[in-house]
Amino acid sequence: MTAAALLAGLAVFGLLTGVAAGLLGVGGGILMVPFLTLAVGLSQHAAEATSLVVVLPTAIAASVELRRRGVGDLGVSLRFGVVGALGAAGGALLALALPASTLRVVFAIFLALVGLRLVRDGIGPATSIPYQTAVDPPGRSEGDSPSRDEAGT
Amino acid sequence: MLSSLLMGDPASTSAPVAPAARLLDPQLVAIGVFGGVLSGLLGVGGGVIMVPLLVLWARYGQRDAHAASLGAIIPISIAGALTYGVAGRVYWADAAALAVGAVVGARFGAGLLARIDERALKVVFGCFLILVAVTMGARA
Repeated sequence: MTAAALLAGLAVFGLLTGVAAGLLGVGGGILMVPFLTLAVGLSQHAAEATSLVVVLPTAIAASVELRRRGVGDLGVSLRFGVVGALGAAGGALLALALPASTLRVVFAIFLALVGLRLVRDGIGPATSIPYQTAVDPPGRSEGDSPSRDEAGT
Repeated sequence: MLSSLLMGDPASTSAPVAPAARLLDPQLVAIGVFGGVLSGLLGVGGGVIMVPLLVLWARYGQRDAHAASLGAIIPISIAGALTYGVAGRVYWADAAALAVGAVVGARFGAGLLARIDERALKVVFGCFLILVAVTMGARA
């Protein structure tokens, strides 16, 4: 019963992180890791490990959706992602080698920096990165080849 | 004739190189490794650093940067999750429950995007993240 309630709560929280990720352009991990440590009580390492397992299907679902809309070049993304995967394994090994309290402080600093950037983007001039154009619902430009110059260079 | 050889064809020199034309851009490699290390170390996707780097450094458009980052996160998160999984740190049932909600929520969030003022939301959300960061730091 309590285990079922916990899983139901996690699914609801997953829904909220998904909505926030779609709205703000920040990934779910930034929300899931603090939630899993502070609210669910997982260790920092377990929270990060579990968060990464959730990031995978979310990224696949979003990539499938973007591909359907003709945005981006999945082949190029996967190729540089495979190189990035080496970095990810290294980063995870580094995290596993660190004590939980140190890792938590590193995460907290990262979280604060992301928070500051969001505040800056929200109140600053229009030179900030426009997340709102990341996914634009109307106007599916399927005929266009992927352009690198949409940012207005 | 000689001058045209020296100067080259203006149309071909000024044409932007399509991302798919190169096997692997060194810039993309650097961005992927950077995003990967951050992802593995902190348990996040890494898009939070890869998207700005793709836009500001690699000159991607915002939408293409978002798509490129999401695609790269697939192999990146597989490697990170496998590393933590082998170390026995993953709570699989918790992850499955979160994933069910997150996949549904992400589609809903992207649909809401067109209808709300996301600048105000960013300020509120950014302040919230800073507050959470302080709480985490205090409990470390």
